[in-house]
Amino acid sequence: MTTTVHDRDTRARRGQGPRRGGGPPTVPTWRRKLRPYLLSVPALLITVGILYPFVLGAYYAFLNYAAVRPNPVFVGLDNFKTVLSDPIFWTSVRVTAIYALVATTVETVLGVGIALLLNRSSLIGKVFERVLILPLMIAPVIAGVIWRLMFNPQFGILNHVFGLGSTFNWLSTKTALWSVILVDIWIFTPFVAILVLAGIRSLPKEPFEASDVDGASWFYQFRRLMLPMMWPYILVAVIFRFMDSLKIFDHVFVLTAGGPGTTTRTLQIGAYEDSIINLNYSIGSTYMFLLWALVFLTARYLVSVLGKAQRRAAGSET
Amino acid sequence: MNDMSSRRLSSRRDFLRVVGLGGLSMAALPALNACGVGTGGGSSGAAKNGAADVTGSFDWKKAKGQKIKILQTPHPYQQSFQPLLKEFTAKTGIEVTADLVPEADYFTKLNTELAGKSGEHDVFMTGAYFIWQYGPPGWMEDLKPWLQNDSATSQEYAFDDIYEGLRTATSWDFKPGSPLGTGGQWAIPWGFETNVVAYNKKLFDSKGIKPADTWDDFQQLAVDLTDRSNNRYGVSFRGSKSWATIHPGFMTQYTRMGCKDYTSEGGNLKAAMNSPEAVTFTKQWVDLAKKAGPTSWTTYEYPDCTRDLGDGTAAMVYDADSATYPKNKPGASKQAGNLAWSPGPAGPDGSYATNLWTWSLAMNSASKKKLAAWLFIQWATGKEAMAQGVKQGAFADPTRKSVFDSAFKQTLGDFPGYLDTFEKVVPETKIQFTPQTSFFETTEDWAVALQDIYSGKDAKSRLDDLAKSSNSKVNA
Repeated sequence: MTTTVHDRDTRARRGQGPRRGGGPPTVPTWRRKLRPYLLSVPALLITVGILYPFVLGAYYAFLNYAAVRPNPVFVGLDNFKTVLSDPIFWTSVRVTAIYALVATTVETVLGVGIALLLNRSSLIGKVFERVLILPLMIAPVIAGVIWRLMFNPQFGILNHVFGLGSTFNWLSTKTALWSVILVDIWIFTPFVAILVLAGIRSLPKEPFEASDVDGASWFYQFRRLMLPMMWPYILVAVIFRFMDSLKIFDHVFVLTAGGPGTTTRTLQIGAYEDSIINLNYSIGSTYMFLLWALVFLTARYLVSVLGKAQRRAAGSET
Repeated sequence: MNDMSSRRLSSRRDFLRVVGLGGLSMAALPALNACGVGTGGGSSGAAKNGAADVTGSFDWKKAKGQKIKILQTPHPYQQSFQPLLKEFTAKTGIEVTADLVPEADYFTKLNTELAGKSGEHDVFMTGAYFIWQYGPPGWMEDLKPWLQNDSATSQEYAFDDIYEGLRTATSWDFKPGSPLGTGGQWAIPWGFETNVVAYNKKLFDSKGIKPADTWDDFQQLAVDLTDRSNNRYGVSFRGSKSWATIHPGFMTQYTRMGCKDYTSEGGNLKAAMNSPEAVTFTKQWVDLAKKAGPTSWTTYEYPDCTRDLGDGTAAMVYDADSATYPKNKPGASKQAGNLAWSPGPAGPDGSYATNLWTWSLAMNSASKKKLAAWLFIQWATGKEAMAQGVKQGAFADPTRKSVFDSAFKQTLGDFPGYLDTFEKVVPETKIQFTPQTSFFETTEDWAVALQDIYSGKDAKSRLDDLAKSSNSKVNA
């Protein structure tokens, strides 16, 4: 074995090619065994880099770590008991769930509708396609600042345009949650529209041409052909938007900081308050650990639904 | 492929799927990372105080050649001092790099850095309340040994020239129930604010009215000045979901009305936000916000309040004098030149008790250049530099009586009532809160309670709930 390698190296140094008819070059066993491990090192480093903060954060959830207690001790599940028995936590869960469900539903319906309209190529469609992407280019924090000015009853444009005077409050207890959802819809509907539009444009033309020949109506084609084939794209958009909405923070914090009271206090805002304002790291970590569990389970379910939809669209499952 | 390898592949796929899902859902954890700010913070206690290492005669050049970094927020105080930094370098031979973080993110950045104990910034701007949170974990250097060391502190420094309420505001022993002014000196006051009423004098003059002296008159005046059809309302004060909603106008008037936040009972603090007088006042304050305040009061922070005063939308603002002061500078707002100041309503016993905020300079206990850091703090809070800062034009209010009486008074010609108001309230100006280490959590809870009452919840039962939750937090 060593002789072979040595022979090959010698031939290479002499400018000769590999031995003719000599078969594949042999590799030392130790190198063959080591190769898979070497190849997996970059992935391992990335995984450790990703997992370390996660594991550390999760570990904090089992300590009583806070700025005023710099020497934390292990407290088992005490933080979970504290958080789960706090009514404000359940308010945050309710707010987060409503936010994610409503925002994702509206954005999906509007996004699909817009994508269908844009698919009918016209000059206006092309212009809209480019204009639509603008909200996505704005950082959500900046969007929050812009909308906060627009919502202002004293000088905001919305009250002026809708003739609401200076007494209608877009961010009151009754309206704040819907207003922050409205801003989310403004930012992210184009995301759904663009994703679905890309999906529509990648669909095969033949089934549609065949159904045209058979005299199928537009609605029939949409319901029986386009929608089943579009489902995987729609579901990808739903997964992204739903996951993102569960983690919402930026523009909600800018607009209301989670108020009035706890009206718009999402789980992320709760975690921020505990970790960064109150410097109670363990309670903040517990919030985030519970949010992670929620996102993980939801993602697992949605990914399985996506798998089924992909198989159905490919015709391998009915 | 046989069954076994098929199963192995299948289980590998399952593993990858689980890892992939984990990765996807782990994106839920940006804040969890933020929770890890204290990764370097397993060890407790302050670093050794560096004052004793400084010996010999005092010399501004003692740390010549060193470079320090300071963390600041873009504030009129910082802006007034920025041009003077080169003078500090010329005087001491110390180079200063000032890193600026916007106020909205400033304390998040500062919390994270101090908890990490990196010592990246040697000096930082802070408020007095933050000492109650940063002090106990040992993140701040006690400056009392530095002040007492003649080798480190110039004979001309005159710490006592700083108003007493400010010196005590930045000193505490971290024992719940102990008053301020006990224990270490954790920061040196640099600039401060009293919370008083600024009003549109032009509007008042046109109606032939004067600022109200009593709380009842003040409420009525604010309602009378409210004209929603003309987009004008009576009085603006903070209402956002933040501890900062409580400390300016609310805490000032709350104290003047004889209310307390906590009382001390048997070594424990007992929340008093639900005492009969506190419930009555809180209800009146919230009613005032509804009847004569901004429509979106629950989002209002001080820039919103002062903007409305400057635009002429708000007739009065009950907030920091230094926040309203810049709006009267020529060209700074529509109502520039039309503003004036009054102490605000006195309490039933004539009290002008006023809550204060002070931007102070503190030393990071993890700093590696403590002498250079102290020389910077000493210079910036000294008479000479502060007087120069005041002359830059936007430094209200200086913390030294000698500077206020000389350089600052000369800038107040076009600010009717500013000086009289200051002189009226300053003897009773101090931190009116009871110091405690859960200040930000319990005070934000207090702001949430005000918002809930504003939204229609019963004041008494909501404040009872607040008191109950505050008791458990401050005595934990």
